[in-house]
Amino acid sequence: MPRFMRRKGALLRVIAVAVVMVMVGSCAVRTDQIARDPGVVRMAVNGWVGYEASAEVLAAILRNEMDYEVQLVRTDEQPSWQALDQGVLDVIVENWGHEDLLELYGPEGNGTVVDGGSNGNVGGIGWYVPAYMEEEYPNIATMEGIKEHADVFQTAETGDKGEFLGGAPGFVTQDQGMINAFDLDLEIVFAGSEASQITEVRRRYANEEPVLFYFYDPQWLQEELDFVRVEFPEYEPGCDADIEWVPCDYPVYDMNKIFRTGFVEEDGPAYRFLDNWQWTNEQQNEVARMIADEGIDSSEAAEIWVDENPDVWREWLPEGYETR
Amino acid sequence: MATVTESAGAAATGPTGSDRGSQGAGGWLRGSAVQALLVVVVLVAGYWAARLMGDPSWAGGFPTAVGDRFMAWLDGIYAWVVENRNDSPLFLYFFNYVSVGLGSAVVLINQFLDFLTWAGVTALGLFVAWRFAGWRVALLVLATFAVFALTGLWSESMTTLSLIFTSVLIALLFGIPLGILAGRSEAFYRGLRPVLDFMQIMPAFAYLLPFVLLFGIGNPAAAVVTAVYALPPVARITALAIREVPKGAIEATTSLGSTPWQILTKVQLPLAKRTILLGVNQTIMLAVSMVVIASVIGAGGLGDAIYQALSKVNVGQAFQAGVAIVMLAIAMDRVTGAVGRSTPVSNLPERYRLPVSAIGLAAIIMATAVGRLFKLGGWPREMSVDIADPVNTVYDWIQSGIGDFTAALATWLLNWVLSPLSALLTGSPWWLVVLAAAALGWIFAGGRTAIVSAAAFVAIGLLGVWDNAMDTLSQVLVASVVTIALGVVIGVLMSRNDVLATILRPILDAMQTLPPFVYLIPAVALFTIGRVPALAAALIFALPPVVRLVNDGIRGVPAGTIEAAESQGSTKWQLLTKVELPMARGSLLLAINQGIILVLSMVVMGALVGAGALGNDVVVGLAQNQLGLGLASGLAIVCLGLFLDRVTQGRRAPRA
Repeated sequence: MPRFMRRKGALLRVIAVAVVMVMVGSCAVRTDQIARDPGVVRMAVNGWVGYEASAEVLAAILRNEMDYEVQLVRTDEQPSWQALDQGVLDVIVENWGHEDLLELYGPEGNGTVVDGGSNGNVGGIGWYVPAYMEEEYPNIATMEGIKEHADVFQTAETGDKGEFLGGAPGFVTQDQGMINAFDLDLEIVFAGSEASQITEVRRRYANEEPVLFYFYDPQWLQEELDFVRVEFPEYEPGCDADIEWVPCDYPVYDMNKIFRTGFVEEDGPAYRFLDNWQWTNEQQNEVARMIADEGIDSSEAAEIWVDENPDVWREWLPEGYETR
Repeated sequence: MATVTESAGAAATGPTGSDRGSQGAGGWLRGSAVQALLVVVVLVAGYWAARLMGDPSWAGGFPTAVGDRFMAWLDGIYAWVVENRNDSPLFLYFFNYVSVGLGSAVVLINQFLDFLTWAGVTALGLFVAWRFAGWRVALLVLATFAVFALTGLWSESMTTLSLIFTSVLIALLFGIPLGILAGRSEAFYRGLRPVLDFMQIMPAFAYLLPFVLLFGIGNPAAAVVTAVYALPPVARITALAIREVPKGAIEATTSLGSTPWQILTKVQLPLAKRTILLGVNQTIMLAVSMVVIASVIGAGGLGDAIYQALSKVNVGQAFQAGVAIVMLAIAMDRVTGAVGRSTPVSNLPERYRLPVSAIGLAAIIMATAVGRLFKLGGWPREMSVDIADPVNTVYDWIQSGIGDFTAALATWLLNWVLSPLSALLTGSPWWLVVLAAAALGWIFAGGRTAIVSAAAFVAIGLLGVWDNAMDTLSQVLVASVVTIALGVVIGVLMSRNDVLATILRPILDAMQTLPPFVYLIPAVALFTIGRVPALAAALIFALPPVVRLVNDGIRGVPAGTIEAAESQGSTKWQLLTKVELPMARGSLLLAINQGIILVLSMVVMGALVGAGALGNDVVVGLAQNQLGLGLASGLAIVCLGLFLDRVTQGRRAPRA
């Protein structure tokens, strides 16, 4: 009786071995061989509203004008690069620096991503204090002033050190290196996200309390509240080489786009469109303010801008996109 | 999570029933309470002694040297993986197969659903629900699709569905054979059980990073992690079901000369089928909750929508996506739950089955054809009802109404409870905390647990995340105390009042099917950002099983015993404290155990709303490419879970 069983077992084993042989022999699988719908553009969304404004506007045009499906995936900056590397996302539309990652994944390294050139925005990160603090401490917006008055920023959370209010844990930062290098008596407290940081800054601003925080430009809140940027020795190439010891300010960032190499090689209308796209800090702020300040849903805000500025974005459309 | 509760709930009724001498039990409890208090006093004394001596280095937190080296080592591994993901044979021929295969499966299923258009998908869902679960459930499914469409989250919902299908399929593909093996071989069962136990006390958040290391980021990793997370119930319940097949039935077939294969397919599987389907149901529910959490490692879909909204503190948007997920969870639960029971429709006579299926298929094809003809695709975003704005209005209104009160409550809780407790745990000499943990383990559960507890704490120290782990522990302790106190009160009230019980029961049922992620939304609405909303979310997440277990325990006390006590003139209070609660001890202890484990899993997720500590390290590890930090924190979360579980499991035998 069990003879056919035994034969069946043997057959199974032969099949299993054959499958393994085929797997190993025929194809080594690279992560970017993952299946992909050519009608879908997969865009990373990093966690600040300016980025979201850019991404939503592009998504609105791709969807409504060019008939693409767009997936916006919320990831932090570094994971976005990994996602491009692994072929699960196509584009980062606003990249701040990250030369180390370009070295790792770019043409010199893995070759899985390509620098897509400037997106038109110029960005600066820095340390900020509210303008009203200058009245009481005239030199507060200088490195010496911060050093002298570090105790002003003490809070319950930081005890006898001054509090430096950081943003989201995923943002580009050299704050600890600057604190070390300038020997400042400060401790970093992360607000957790851009939104909660803004809430906290707003609260202190309303009460005219002291606050020292990580912030950046373009950012719509800069136009609403009066902040002063703290002056540090200017950035020189290489001064941020050791992240634990950074004796200089943040660099000025020419923000750029990062594409997945495969997406570029396909050279579809979606890529050409994103490649053409460039806009200014003011244009980004217009949309960002609608989202964050007026509480309009981000995709709606983007559509409002798209409706109002056809002559701006018509320029970005590639030739022959209608025939896709 | 529901799994843990139910399988353990079954085990709990055993010891409760045979538990005699309620007075003795109370005495034992009181005895250990005094001992535990002593441990706390020693800890506080140690803390002050260390402070008075000016915090000498031998009496501080755990030295981080080993942990730092461990993290650097993990970072090194990660760097290697990044460089060799597309070169090393280990990845080319194994891990990439899994991730590319699963990632592609998700995309293909998604494409298929897109191809069907919303009309076709709705027809398919309705037919399947009606065929297997009856028209009531079909209506529920229709309502679910309506919510997907009207919230404007149709395509997100389809992505989430594709992820769930893929990962459940994989979980069943591995889980059921594992269960069958365990059901047939005693040795394999004994080997598998501790692994499954361990997987079930491991908080969802701790699963994430190891999978990022091996499978990268995005949907592929999300599918793998969800499959692994959802696997235990189906394996465990399949094993149980097969072991419960009557010996007589097997002996009868053996004597007729059946082969083992025939016994399995003709006797064991058919008889165990219904129970196995229960396991499948629980696996699906776990998959629903994990697929949402996996948005932290880049999974798209509804979870991502909530994650985005939470990071913008946009309660309305989060609520919208939350409603969609809740509907999805309930519909999935009802459909798969009904497959296990028999309904009139699913028991169609043989001769009708083929025609009915044919008609259904025709209807689906028709709907799809119509959908494709009119180029319907996903539900148009313009035709959605925006509930985010009204919800935000309500939220603003609540904020202006009780915002000051909740803010004050939050500040009070931070300054007077959380911060001192956290300072006590982080500021005490580490070896004193380890000793205290061991002592608590010994008091509540005996020598072996004492060793496990001490080992767990030393391991946390060696991982280099001592301070954050103590911070997390303080949050867990506070939330657990509140949860258990509130749970016991509500449970007792519920056991007293049948009307209240009838009202509460369906609410508790619904709450237990919800993915934990959803609970963060109301918490953020009330307490904005920080440690307190995480505690609030943990409280509402862990409350239902506690209430249910307390209620069941008290209602399980034999009526004769109560009558005897009443006839001796006991007051209601005496009846409760001297008779009912002591006799329901088994259920109470289980309620404590479940409550604490659930609180832990939620508190670490609180990092998404600014609770900091270990959960935050997991997020930072991911966000800043510090996999070492993230992995070490994940392991520390597991160690905390192990300690809390073992100590509160008491002297009972480990659960089945």
